[in-house]
Amino acid sequence: MTNTMLLSWATFLYFGAFVFYLFRLVFRKEFWGQGAFYTVIGGLGAHTLSMLLRWKESYALGFGHAPLSNFYESLIFFAWALILLYVIVEWRIKDRSLGVFVLPAAFLLLAFASLTPSISNRIQALVPALQSNWLTSHVVACFLGYAAFTVAFAIGIMYFLRNIPLFGFIPEGETLNELLYQHAVLGFVFLTLGIMTGSVWAHYAWGSYWSWDPKETWSLITWLIYAVMLHARYVRGWKGDRMAVLGVNYLPGLHSYLQS
Amino acid sequence: MTKQKNPCWSFFTSVYLTITLLALMVILSIVGTLIPQQDAARGFIQGISPGLASFLQTMQAFDVFHSVWFFLLMLLLCLNLIVCSLNRWPLTWKQFRGAPLAEEKGLFRGLTPERIFMCDEDVETMTGRMEVLLSRKYRKIIVNCEKEDAIIICGERGRYSRFAVYAVHVSLLLLIMGAFTGAFWGWEGYVNIGEGETADAIDLKGAEGTKKLPFTIRCDKFLVAFHENGAPKTFRSDLTFLQDGKTLFQGPLLMNHTISLEGVRVYQASYGSSPDGRASLAFSRGGGEEKIIKVGPGESFALPEKNGTVQIARIEEDLMKMGPAVKIIVHSGEGDVSCWVFQHIDKIREMSPGVTEQIPMFNPALFKPYIFVLKGIEERHYTGLQISSDPGAPLVAAAAVFMMMGLMGTFFASHRRIWIKIERAGEKTKISVAARTNKHRVVLDREVRQLTERIKISLEAGST
Repeated sequence: MTNTMLLSWATFLYFGAFVFYLFRLVFRKEFWGQGAFYTVIGGLGAHTLSMLLRWKESYALGFGHAPLSNFYESLIFFAWALILLYVIVEWRIKDRSLGVFVLPAAFLLLAFASLTPSISNRIQALVPALQSNWLTSHVVACFLGYAAFTVAFAIGIMYFLRNIPLFGFIPEGETLNELLYQHAVLGFVFLTLGIMTGSVWAHYAWGSYWSWDPKETWSLITWLIYAVMLHARYVRGWKGDRMAVLGVNYLPGLHSYLQS
Repeated sequence: MTKQKNPCWSFFTSVYLTITLLALMVILSIVGTLIPQQDAARGFIQGISPGLASFLQTMQAFDVFHSVWFFLLMLLLCLNLIVCSLNRWPLTWKQFRGAPLAEEKGLFRGLTPERIFMCDEDVETMTGRMEVLLSRKYRKIIVNCEKEDAIIICGERGRYSRFAVYAVHVSLLLLIMGAFTGAFWGWEGYVNIGEGETADAIDLKGAEGTKKLPFTIRCDKFLVAFHENGAPKTFRSDLTFLQDGKTLFQGPLLMNHTISLEGVRVYQASYGSSPDGRASLAFSRGGGEEKIIKVGPGESFALPEKNGTVQIARIEEDLMKMGPAVKIIVHSGEGDVSCWVFQHIDKIREMSPGVTEQIPMFNPALFKPYIFVLKGIEERHYTGLQISSDPGAPLVAAAAVFMMMGLMGTFFASHRRIWIKIERAGEKTKISVAARTNKHRVVLDREVRQLTERIKISLEAGST
């Protein structure tokens, strides 16, 4: 099982990157920040390779499906999307302070997926209901959305911590606000896409595009809360604390996913 | 203006109403996930006091998503969306169609130094050069010849994004319309069809009676395949759809690959084996030469020596967890003898030795000198089809397209306009850059920075 070995490497590298980001804060040397970034890139490479290998292995086993079919694979993809998004953000805003908050999330996701005994890492055959490209698109869209919400969540936490002297490295409130909004929007668009592709799948697999089961309902609730927030921002210019709370609300959707 | 003063109108234009309605929908949805709904509610009702149960029943708490409350919220949201959009429309239309490129008041006031340039060339040359620079990224260049020896050129991008928010609102209206269309005119039901059999009516969901289909469905074959680990791999029904004796369509139905015909959608929902399959029964005289015969339930056959007839009383796929079995009654001059014939008799004897002696009913050699052996029961599958019609589905699909387009336009596009004023300032020519956007200032600022960089480079190149 080379894919799990590569994944252990990715987990290890993400943890290393987190430590380097911490060093950067403690020693205030950009050297550590650069090291951390390259470590993240290395981890992402191993992570990507691991997913591709797993995909290939599933073909070798005769199942032939994208590595997005069960809880284990979803968590792996979630962590991957999170890191990918983080790399793009760091590269675009040229600010490394977010790393300390995002890297542990990815590391913990991978550790949770690998170490929890009840989560099987076997490549499994798909039952007929799950043999659908719409389902694959649904998982991709949803977890890209969750990744964006997780980054928004991290920014929300940074927003609340920014006035504590210990966290002097955090960028100013206005920048955080804008960044938080962008990620909330990105998550919202992906969530919308995820609900849509999920509906299409349900339409073809279960005979109804919407049947008000708890998972569907919670995704709608999450969607509605974000819709409220975006309208509130539009009319009242809600910013700061109230927008930062927004980051926390991605939890209901995720919670309902974990229930499954 | 009179419209705005109407309190009813202004109530529905309020975004606060939107926020309130959405928040109420969130609360109602949470109630809908916390209290078991519809069929699942039955057990829950038994566990709570009758008073509370009847109160919740009256409040329609056991079917929140089809309740009056939910309906009302949807209706109010629709009104809110329509009124709000109508209210904003004239302004949007004006911004879209009107003269958006004319100089706005105070546009060039308070510009930062990096947006102002001075050069030696005359106004006309610079106008030409600025036009080229601006038209690289912006459409619709308009040149306004102003008084006082000043020329203003304008460019814009993303004008259509002003309609994006309307696309989102229209998509929600379509979505709600589609959902209601489906709820009122749609139907859903189930039917089991055995291999070789036909059906032209289905049982509607929720015991609402039966419904005749516009065609007849024949199940030619049902097939289930398994993965090595025992999980199902494929469910497949080969179906033929007939109308007035003619074949409308013939083909396989698989899960995730539905068949849509005459506005009716057919799904592979379940399968099973029917108990009326035929048994293959072997018999011999005291272990001698075996004869095999295929019989169905209720049928009988004569034993060769004419000393009796055998009747098949029952055929069981799995009798008392001991596998397939057939109950036979042998009619003869000595009276009737009945016994069960198991397929896995050897295994049963092994598991519980002496069972055939203790329970004569289980002894396949009860009617001497014959010994009966069940070779197997022919599996006759039936396919379980879910059949539904949802005339609202195309509306919902259209809603999805509109919503995606609308969200992209709302969040990732903006109407950016840039003005460049070229004027004479004493001995020199002054170039000023001003810009406006309806949202996403960051994007505009970045674009202006790129433009001013280009102007700077162009001026430096021009002056050498």
